[in-house]
Amino acid sequence: MSAKPRVLIVDDEERFRTTMAKLLTVNGLEVTAVGSGKAALEELKAKPYDVITLDIRMPGMSGLEALAEIKKVNPGIEVIILTGHASVDTAVEIMKLGGYEYLLKPTSTEELMNKIDAAFERKLTREQKVR
Amino acid sequence: MGFRQSITPYTASILIALCAVIIAFTGSLGFAVAGIFLAFVTFMNTRQLLQKLAAANEQTCFLDEKLVQSQKLASIGELSAGIGHEINNPLAIISQETEWMQHLLKQIGERDPKEVAELQDSLKEVLRQVDRCREITQNLLDFARKKEPVFQEVNVNKLIDDLSRLVEKETIRYHIEIRKDFQQDLPLVHTDAPSLRQVVLNLLTNATHAIEKDGRIRIATQRSENGSVDIIVEDTGCGIPKDHLIKIFDPFFTTKPEGKGTGLGLSICHGIVDKLGGRISVSSEVGKGSTFVVTLPINQRKGMRPS
Repeated sequence: MSAKPRVLIVDDEERFRTTMAKLLTVNGLEVTAVGSGKAALEELKAKPYDVITLDIRMPGMSGLEALAEIKKVNPGIEVIILTGHASVDTAVEIMKLGGYEYLLKPTSTEELMNKIDAAFERKLTREQKVR
Repeated sequence: MGFRQSITPYTASILIALCAVIIAFTGSLGFAVAGIFLAFVTFMNTRQLLQKLAAANEQTCFLDEKLVQSQKLASIGELSAGIGHEINNPLAIISQETEWMQHLLKQIGERDPKEVAELQDSLKEVLRQVDRCREITQNLLDFARKKEPVFQEVNVNKLIDDLSRLVEKETIRYHIEIRKDFQQDLPLVHTDAPSLRQVVLNLLTNATHAIEKDGRIRIATQRSENGSVDIIVEDTGCGIPKDHLIKIFDPFFTTKPEGKGTGLGLSICHGIVDKLGGRISVSSEVGKGSTFVVTLPINQRKGMRPS
Protein backbone atom coordinates (compact mmCIF):
# COMPACT_ATOMS: atom_id res chain seq x y z
CA MET A 1 0.00 0.00 0.00
CA SER A 2 1.39 3.37 -1.00
CA ALA A 3 1.88 5.89 1.81
CA LYS A 4 0.78 8.83 -0.33
CA PRO A 5 -2.51 8.86 -2.18
CA ARG A 6 -2.59 8.42 -5.92
CA VAL A 7 -4.92 11.11 -7.15
CA LEU A 8 -6.77 11.40 -10.46
CA ILE A 9 -8.04 14.88 -11.37
CA VAL A 10 -10.97 14.97 -13.78
CA ASP A 11 -11.82 18.44 -15.08
CA ASP A 12 -12.59 19.72 -18.56
CA GLU A 13 -10.90 23.07 -17.86
CA GLU A 14 -7.34 22.41 -19.02
CA ARG A 15 -5.61 25.20 -17.11
CA PHE A 16 -7.40 24.30 -13.90
CA ARG A 17 -6.44 20.64 -13.96
CA THR A 18 -2.81 21.16 -14.93
CA THR A 19 -2.13 23.79 -12.26
CA MET A 20 -3.96 21.77 -9.66
CA ALA A 21 -1.86 18.76 -10.61
CA LYS A 22 1.32 20.81 -10.13
CA LEU A 23 0.13 22.14 -6.75
CA LEU A 24 -0.81 18.69 -5.45
CA THR A 25 2.44 17.21 -6.75
CA VAL A 26 4.58 19.75 -4.88
CA ASN A 27 2.56 18.82 -1.80
CA GLY A 28 3.77 15.25 -2.14
CA LEU A 29 0.91 13.54 -3.94
CA GLU A 30 1.08 11.33 -7.00
CA VAL A 31 -1.16 13.04 -9.50
CA THR A 32 -2.57 12.47 -12.98
CA ALA A 33 -5.02 14.82 -14.67
CA VAL A 34 -7.53 14.04 -17.43
CA GLY A 35 -10.14 16.15 -19.20
CA SER A 36 -13.29 13.99 -19.33
CA GLY A 37 -15.27 11.26 -17.62
CA LYS A 38 -14.51 8.89 -20.45
CA ALA A 39 -10.75 9.52 -20.18
CA ALA A 40 -11.03 8.96 -16.41
CA LEU A 41 -12.61 5.52 -16.90
CA GLU A 42 -9.84 4.56 -19.32
CA GLU A 43 -7.18 5.82 -16.91
CA LEU A 44 -8.71 3.74 -14.11
CA LYS A 45 -8.41 0.59 -16.20
CA ALA A 46 -4.74 1.32 -16.78
CA LYS A 47 -3.61 2.31 -13.28
CA PRO A 48 -4.83 2.05 -9.65
CA TYR A 49 -5.92 5.25 -7.89
CA ASP A 50 -6.99 6.06 -4.32
CA VAL A 51 -8.81 9.37 -4.68
CA ILE A 52 -10.51 11.12 -7.61
CA THR A 53 -11.46 14.78 -7.79
CA LEU A 54 -14.30 15.15 -10.22
CA ASP A 55 -15.93 18.17 -11.88
CA ILE A 56 -19.70 18.05 -12.38
CA ARG A 57 -20.32 20.08 -15.50
CA MET A 58 -18.33 18.55 -18.32
CA PRO A 59 -19.18 18.12 -21.97
CA GLY A 60 -20.06 14.57 -22.95
CA MET A 61 -20.27 12.42 -19.85
CA SER A 62 -21.33 14.58 -16.87
CA GLY A 63 -19.61 14.29 -13.50
CA LEU A 64 -22.60 12.46 -12.00
CA GLU A 65 -22.65 9.93 -14.84
CA ALA A 66 -18.90 9.48 -14.50
CA LEU A 67 -19.27 8.99 -10.72
CA ALA A 68 -21.83 6.20 -11.23
CA GLU A 69 -19.56 4.48 -13.78
CA ILE A 70 -16.43 4.87 -11.64
CA LYS A 71 -18.21 3.32 -8.65
CA LYS A 72 -19.26 0.37 -10.85
CA VAL A 73 -15.67 -0.26 -11.98
CA ASN A 74 -14.00 0.52 -8.66
CA PRO A 75 -16.36 0.82 -5.65
CA GLY A 76 -13.48 1.27 -3.21
CA ILE A 77 -12.17 4.48 -4.76
CA GLU A 78 -13.02 7.74 -2.95
CA VAL A 79 -14.46 10.52 -5.10
CA ILE A 80 -14.40 14.20 -4.18
CA ILE A 81 -16.69 16.37 -6.25
CA LEU A 82 -15.15 19.73 -7.02
CA THR A 83 -17.56 22.08 -8.73
CA GLY A 84 -18.43 25.71 -9.27
CA HIS A 85 -22.10 24.96 -8.92
CA ALA A 86 -23.60 23.96 -5.61
CA SER A 87 -27.10 22.73 -5.12
CA VAL A 88 -28.65 20.63 -2.41
CA ASP A 89 -30.19 18.30 -4.99
CA THR A 90 -26.81 17.63 -6.60
CA ALA A 91 -25.23 17.08 -3.18
CA VAL A 92 -27.88 14.50 -2.30
CA GLU A 93 -27.41 12.79 -5.66
CA ILE A 94 -23.64 12.65 -5.13
CA MET A 95 -24.05 11.05 -1.71
CA LYS A 96 -26.53 8.52 -3.13
CA LEU A 97 -24.04 7.59 -5.83
CA GLY A 98 -21.35 7.00 -3.20
CA GLY A 99 -19.38 10.25 -3.54
CA TYR A 100 -17.22 11.06 -0.54
CA GLU A 101 -17.16 14.83 -0.35
CA TYR A 102 -18.41 17.91 -2.08
CA LEU A 103 -16.28 21.05 -2.47
CA LEU A 104 -17.24 24.34 -4.02
CA LYS A 105 -14.78 26.06 -6.37
CA PRO A 106 -12.73 28.14 -5.77
CA THR A 107 -11.08 26.26 -2.97
CA SER A 108 -7.56 26.51 -1.57
CA THR A 109 -5.02 23.76 -2.11
CA GLU A 110 -4.84 23.38 1.66
CA GLU A 111 -8.57 22.69 1.93
CA LEU A 112 -8.45 20.25 -0.95
CA MET A 113 -5.38 18.51 0.54
CA ASN A 114 -7.26 18.05 3.82
CA LYS A 115 -10.20 16.46 2.02
CA ILE A 116 -7.92 14.21 -0.04
CA ASP A 117 -6.07 13.10 3.12
CA ALA A 118 -9.34 12.34 4.90
CA ALA A 119 -10.68 10.44 1.89
CA PHE A 120 -7.45 8.44 1.61
CA GLU A 121 -7.52 7.60 5.31
CA ARG A 122 -11.09 6.37 4.98
CA LYS A 123 -10.12 4.19 2.06
CA LEU A 124 -7.19 2.68 4.01
CA THR A 125 -9.34 2.03 7.10
CA ARG A 126 -11.98 0.31 5.02
CA GLU A 127 -9.42 -1.85 3.26
CA GLN A 128 -7.86 -2.85 6.58
CA LYS A 129 -11.28 -3.88 7.90
CA VAL A 130 -11.87 -6.04 4.83
CA ARG A 131 -8.59 -7.84 5.46
CA MET B 1 -63.69 52.11 -8.77
CA GLY B 2 -66.04 54.22 -10.99
CA PHE B 3 -69.09 52.87 -9.19
CA ARG B 4 -67.55 53.64 -5.84
CA GLN B 5 -66.76 57.19 -6.79
CA SER B 6 -70.14 58.01 -8.41
CA ILE B 7 -72.53 56.55 -5.80
CA THR B 8 -71.81 57.32 -2.15
CA PRO B 9 -74.03 56.15 0.74
CA TYR B 10 -75.13 59.77 1.03
CA THR B 11 -76.37 60.14 -2.55
CA ALA B 12 -78.20 56.79 -2.32
CA SER B 13 -79.97 57.71 0.91
CA ILE B 14 -80.75 61.27 -0.29
CA LEU B 15 -82.46 59.78 -3.35
CA ILE B 16 -84.60 57.50 -1.20
CA ALA B 17 -85.37 60.28 1.32
CA LEU B 18 -86.44 62.45 -1.62
CA CYS B 19 -88.83 59.70 -2.69
CA ALA B 20 -90.20 59.62 0.89
CA VAL B 21 -90.87 63.38 0.80
CA ILE B 22 -92.68 63.06 -2.53
CA ILE B 23 -94.76 60.20 -1.10
CA ALA B 24 -95.49 62.33 2.02
CA PHE B 25 -96.88 65.09 -0.19
CA THR B 26 -98.96 62.74 -2.26
CA GLY B 27 -99.87 59.98 0.23
CA SER B 28 -100.00 59.33 3.94
CA LEU B 29 -97.53 60.04 6.82
CA GLY B 30 -97.05 56.27 7.32
CA PHE B 31 -95.55 55.99 3.83
CA ALA B 32 -93.21 58.89 4.61
CA VAL B 33 -91.91 57.28 7.84
CA ALA B 34 -91.39 53.99 6.01
CA GLY B 35 -89.54 55.88 3.29
CA ILE B 36 -87.20 57.61 5.76
CA PHE B 37 -86.54 54.28 7.54
CA LEU B 38 -85.72 52.72 4.16
CA ALA B 39 -83.35 55.61 3.43
CA PHE B 40 -81.53 55.03 6.74
CA VAL B 41 -81.16 51.27 6.13
CA THR B 42 -79.90 51.92 2.62
CA PHE B 43 -77.39 54.42 3.94
CA MET B 44 -76.02 51.91 6.48
CA ASN B 45 -75.91 49.02 4.01
CA THR B 46 -74.22 51.01 1.28
CA ARG B 47 -71.64 52.33 3.71
CA GLN B 48 -70.84 48.82 4.94
CA LEU B 49 -70.58 47.57 1.36
CA LEU B 50 -68.18 50.33 0.39
CA GLN B 51 -66.05 49.71 3.45
CA LYS B 52 -65.76 46.05 2.47
CA LEU B 53 -64.92 47.03 -1.09
CA ALA B 54 -62.17 49.36 0.11
CA ALA B 55 -60.71 46.64 2.37
CA ALA B 56 -60.77 44.11 -0.48
CA ASN B 57 -59.07 46.61 -2.74
CA GLU B 58 -56.35 47.21 -0.19
CA GLN B 59 -55.81 43.46 0.21
CA THR B 60 -55.52 43.06 -3.59
CA CYS B 61 -52.89 45.82 -3.71
CA PHE B 62 -50.94 44.09 -0.91
CA LEU B 63 -51.08 40.72 -2.69
CA ASP B 64 -50.08 42.29 -6.03
CA GLU B 65 -47.11 43.93 -4.36
CA LYS B 66 -46.17 40.63 -2.72
CA LEU B 67 -46.48 38.82 -6.05
CA VAL B 68 -44.33 41.36 -7.88
CA GLN B 69 -41.66 41.10 -5.16
CA SER B 70 -41.75 37.27 -5.31
CA GLN B 71 -41.51 37.24 -9.10
CA LYS B 72 -38.68 39.73 -9.02
CA LEU B 73 -36.81 37.58 -6.53
CA ALA B 74 -37.44 34.42 -8.54
CA SER B 75 -36.12 35.82 -11.82
CA ILE B 76 -33.09 37.37 -10.15
CA GLY B 77 -32.58 34.04 -8.39
CA GLU B 78 -32.25 32.21 -11.69
CA LEU B 79 -29.86 34.81 -13.05
CA SER B 80 -27.81 34.71 -9.84
CA ALA B 81 -27.32 30.96 -10.02
CA GLY B 82 -25.97 31.28 -13.54
CA ILE B 83 -23.63 34.13 -12.64
CA GLY B 84 -22.50 32.40 -9.43
CA HIS B 85 -21.53 29.29 -11.31
CA GLU B 86 -19.88 31.00 -14.23
CA ILE B 87 -17.76 33.22 -11.98
CA ASN B 88 -16.71 30.42 -9.64
CA ASN B 89 -14.82 28.60 -12.38
CA PRO B 90 -12.54 31.48 -13.46
CA LEU B 91 -12.12 32.35 -9.78
CA ALA B 92 -10.87 28.83 -9.17
CA ILE B 93 -8.25 29.28 -11.88
CA ILE B 94 -7.15 32.71 -10.59
CA SER B 95 -6.83 31.27 -7.12
CA GLN B 96 -4.76 28.29 -8.25
CA GLU B 97 -2.47 30.29 -10.50
CA THR B 98 -1.81 32.65 -7.60
CA GLU B 99 -0.99 29.76 -5.30
CA TRP B 100 1.35 28.38 -7.95
CA MET B 101 3.12 31.76 -8.29
CA GLN B 102 3.50 31.87 -4.51
CA HIS B 103 5.08 28.45 -4.64
CA LEU B 104 7.49 29.48 -7.42
CA LEU B 105 8.43 32.66 -5.56
CA LYS B 106 9.36 30.63 -2.50
CA GLN B 107 11.93 28.82 -4.63
CA ILE B 108 13.64 32.02 -5.74
CA GLY B 109 13.03 33.97 -2.53
CA GLU B 110 16.58 33.75 -1.28
CA ARG B 111 18.03 35.42 -4.35
CA ASP B 112 16.16 38.72 -4.10
CA PRO B 113 14.27 38.71 -0.82
CA LYS B 114 12.97 42.31 -0.90
CA GLU B 115 11.28 42.21 -4.27
CA VAL B 116 10.04 38.69 -3.72
CA ALA B 117 8.44 39.78 -0.44
CA GLU B 118 6.63 42.54 -2.27
CA LEU B 119 5.41 40.12 -4.91
CA GLN B 120 4.24 37.69 -2.23
CA ASP B 121 2.31 40.49 -0.60
CA SER B 122 0.58 41.32 -3.90
CA LEU B 123 -0.32 37.70 -4.46
CA LYS B 124 -1.77 37.44 -0.96
CA GLU B 125 -3.94 40.40 -1.82
CA VAL B 126 -5.11 38.67 -5.00
CA LEU B 127 -6.15 35.65 -2.91
CA ARG B 128 -7.93 37.88 -0.41
CA GLN B 129 -9.93 39.42 -3.24
CA VAL B 130 -10.71 35.97 -4.65
CA ASP B 131 -12.09 35.08 -1.22
CA ARG B 132 -14.23 38.19 -1.30
CA CYS B 133 -15.62 37.24 -4.71
CA ARG B 134 -16.20 33.70 -3.49
CA GLU B 135 -18.27 35.04 -0.63
CA ILE B 136 -20.37 37.00 -3.13
CA THR B 137 -20.92 34.04 -5.44
CA GLN B 138 -21.80 31.82 -2.49
CA ASN B 139 -24.35 34.37 -1.38
CA LEU B 140 -25.75 34.42 -4.91
CA LEU B 141 -26.00 30.66 -4.98
CA ASP B 142 -27.62 30.63 -1.53
CA PHE B 143 -30.06 33.21 -2.78
CA ALA B 144 -30.95 31.16 -5.83
CA ARG B 145 -31.07 27.78 -4.15
CA LYS B 146 -34.50 26.29 -4.17
CA LYS B 147 -34.62 24.88 -0.69
CA GLU B 148 -37.92 23.31 0.16
CA PRO B 149 -38.71 23.96 3.82
CA VAL B 150 -39.23 21.02 6.19
CA PHE B 151 -42.02 21.97 8.57
CA GLN B 152 -41.76 20.87 12.19
CA GLU B 153 -42.98 22.09 15.55
CA VAL B 154 -40.47 24.76 16.59
CA ASN B 155 -40.03 26.50 19.94
CA VAL B 156 -39.45 29.98 18.55
CA ASN B 157 -38.42 31.49 21.90
CA LYS B 158 -35.70 28.88 22.34
CA LEU B 159 -34.52 29.25 18.73
CA ILE B 160 -34.18 33.02 19.16
CA ASP B 161 -32.60 32.69 22.59
CA ASP B 162 -29.88 30.37 21.21
CA LEU B 163 -29.19 32.76 18.34
CA SER B 164 -29.07 35.86 20.48
CA ARG B 165 -26.54 34.19 22.78
CA LEU B 166 -24.41 33.61 19.72
CA VAL B 167 -24.76 37.21 18.55
CA GLU B 168 -24.17 38.53 22.09
CA LYS B 169 -20.59 37.23 21.97
CA GLU B 170 -20.01 39.72 19.17
CA THR B 171 -22.22 42.62 20.34
CA ILE B 172 -20.75 42.74 23.86
CA ARG B 173 -17.51 44.02 22.36
CA TYR B 174 -19.36 47.02 20.94
CA HIS B 175 -21.41 47.69 24.09
CA ILE B 176 -24.63 46.63 22.42
CA GLU B 177 -27.14 45.15 24.82
CA ILE B 178 -29.57 42.51 23.62
CA ARG B 179 -32.85 42.69 25.52
CA LYS B 180 -35.08 39.64 25.21
CA ASP B 181 -38.76 40.12 25.64
CA PHE B 182 -40.42 36.77 24.97
CA GLN B 183 -44.07 35.93 25.44
CA GLN B 184 -43.80 32.97 27.79
CA ASP B 185 -46.83 30.93 26.73
CA LEU B 186 -46.05 31.20 23.03
CA PRO B 187 -47.34 28.12 21.15
CA LEU B 188 -45.00 25.91 19.11
CA VAL B 189 -44.84 27.14 15.53
CA HIS B 190 -45.12 24.76 12.59
CA THR B 191 -42.18 26.03 10.52
CA ASP B 192 -38.71 25.26 9.13
CA ALA B 193 -36.16 25.88 11.90
CA PRO B 194 -32.96 26.31 9.78
CA SER B 195 -34.69 28.85 7.53
CA LEU B 196 -36.07 30.76 10.48
CA ARG B 197 -32.61 30.77 12.10
CA GLN B 198 -31.20 32.32 8.93
CA VAL B 199 -33.82 35.09 9.01
CA VAL B 200 -33.38 35.92 12.70
CA LEU B 201 -29.59 35.82 12.47
CA ASN B 202 -29.71 38.15 9.50
CA LEU B 203 -31.99 40.62 11.29
CA LEU B 204 -29.81 40.56 14.42
CA THR B 205 -26.66 41.08 12.37
CA ASN B 206 -28.26 43.97 10.50
CA ALA B 207 -29.37 45.53 13.79
CA THR B 208 -25.81 45.25 15.11
CA HIS B 209 -24.43 46.91 11.98
CA ALA B 210 -27.04 49.69 12.23
CA ILE B 211 -25.99 50.48 15.80
CA GLU B 212 -22.22 50.08 15.29
CA LYS B 213 -21.58 50.67 18.99
CA ASP B 214 -23.32 51.68 22.24
CA GLY B 215 -26.95 50.79 21.79
CA ARG B 216 -29.67 48.29 22.37
CA ILE B 217 -31.41 45.58 20.38
CA ARG B 218 -34.76 44.37 21.62
CA ILE B 219 -35.87 41.00 20.36
CA ALA B 220 -39.40 40.06 21.24
CA THR B 221 -42.00 37.45 20.47
CA GLN B 222 -45.73 37.74 20.78
CA ARG B 223 -48.84 35.97 19.73
CA SER B 224 -50.70 38.07 17.20
CA GLU B 225 -54.12 37.82 15.67
CA ASN B 226 -55.19 35.31 13.00
CA GLY B 227 -53.23 32.41 14.50
CA SER B 228 -49.83 34.02 13.98
CA VAL B 229 -46.69 34.73 15.95
CA ASP B 230 -44.70 37.96 15.65
CA ILE B 231 -40.93 38.11 15.98
CA ILE B 232 -39.84 41.69 16.53
CA VAL B 233 -36.29 42.94 16.14
CA GLU B 234 -35.92 46.54 17.23
CA ASP B 235 -32.67 48.49 17.28
CA THR B 236 -31.50 51.88 18.40
CA GLY B 237 -29.35 52.24 15.30
CA CYS B 238 -29.03 54.83 12.56
CA GLY B 239 -32.46 54.14 11.05
CA ILE B 240 -33.45 53.91 7.40
CA PRO B 241 -34.44 56.96 5.30
CA LYS B 242 -37.97 56.86 3.83
CA ASP B 243 -36.79 56.56 0.22
CA HIS B 244 -34.68 53.52 1.16
CA LEU B 245 -37.51 51.77 3.01
CA ILE B 246 -39.32 50.83 -0.20
CA LYS B 247 -36.16 49.30 -1.69
CA ILE B 248 -34.95 47.51 1.39
CA PHE B 249 -36.11 44.02 0.33
CA ASP B 250 -34.84 44.45 -3.23
CA PRO B 251 -31.92 42.22 -4.15
CA PHE B 252 -28.53 43.99 -4.30
CA PHE B 253 -29.84 47.06 -2.48
CA THR B 254 -27.28 48.04 0.13
CA THR B 255 -26.13 51.14 1.92
CA LYS B 256 -23.09 49.41 3.33
CA PRO B 257 -19.68 50.47 2.01
CA GLU B 258 -18.31 48.54 -0.93
CA GLY B 259 -17.16 45.08 0.04
CA LYS B 260 -19.13 45.10 3.29
CA GLY B 261 -22.41 43.78 2.02
CA THR B 262 -23.89 42.20 -1.09
CA GLY B 263 -27.38 43.60 -0.53
CA LEU B 264 -28.86 40.14 -0.58
CA GLY B 265 -29.47 39.53 3.13
CA LEU B 266 -32.91 41.09 3.44
CA SER B 267 -34.12 39.83 0.07
CA ILE B 268 -33.09 36.32 1.13
CA CYS B 269 -35.05 36.90 4.38
CA HIS B 270 -38.04 38.09 2.40
CA GLY B 271 -37.91 35.00 0.18
CA ILE B 272 -37.61 32.66 3.17
CA VAL B 273 -40.44 34.25 5.15
CA ASP B 274 -42.58 34.08 2.01
CA LYS B 275 -41.88 30.35 1.71
CA LEU B 276 -42.76 29.88 5.36
CA GLY B 277 -46.16 31.42 4.63
CA GLY B 278 -45.47 34.57 6.61
CA ARG B 279 -44.58 38.17 5.97
CA ILE B 280 -41.90 40.63 6.97
CA SER B 281 -42.36 44.34 7.51
CA VAL B 282 -40.21 47.26 8.54
CA SER B 283 -40.67 50.65 10.15
CA SER B 284 -37.91 53.08 10.84
CA GLU B 285 -36.98 56.57 11.88
CA VAL B 286 -33.66 58.10 10.94
CA GLY B 287 -31.49 58.63 13.98
CA LYS B 288 -33.77 56.63 16.27
CA GLY B 289 -33.71 53.08 14.91
CA SER B 290 -35.61 50.44 13.00
CA THR B 291 -38.10 47.72 13.77
CA PHE B 292 -38.49 44.56 11.73
CA VAL B 293 -41.50 42.35 12.33
CA VAL B 294 -41.67 38.79 11.02
CA THR B 295 -45.17 37.36 11.23
CA LEU B 296 -45.42 33.59 10.94
CA PRO B 297 -48.52 31.42 10.96
CA ILE B 298 -48.55 29.08 13.97
CA ASN B 299 -49.84 26.30 11.81
CA GLN B 300 -48.60 26.85 8.29
CA ARG B 301 -51.24 24.51 6.83
CA LYS B 302 -54.13 26.27 8.51
CA GLY B 303 -52.58 29.70 8.60
CA MET B 304 -51.48 31.97 5.83
CA ARG B 305 -51.19 30.67 2.35
CA PRO B 306 -47.60 30.12 1.17
CA SER B 307 -46.76 31.88 -2.05
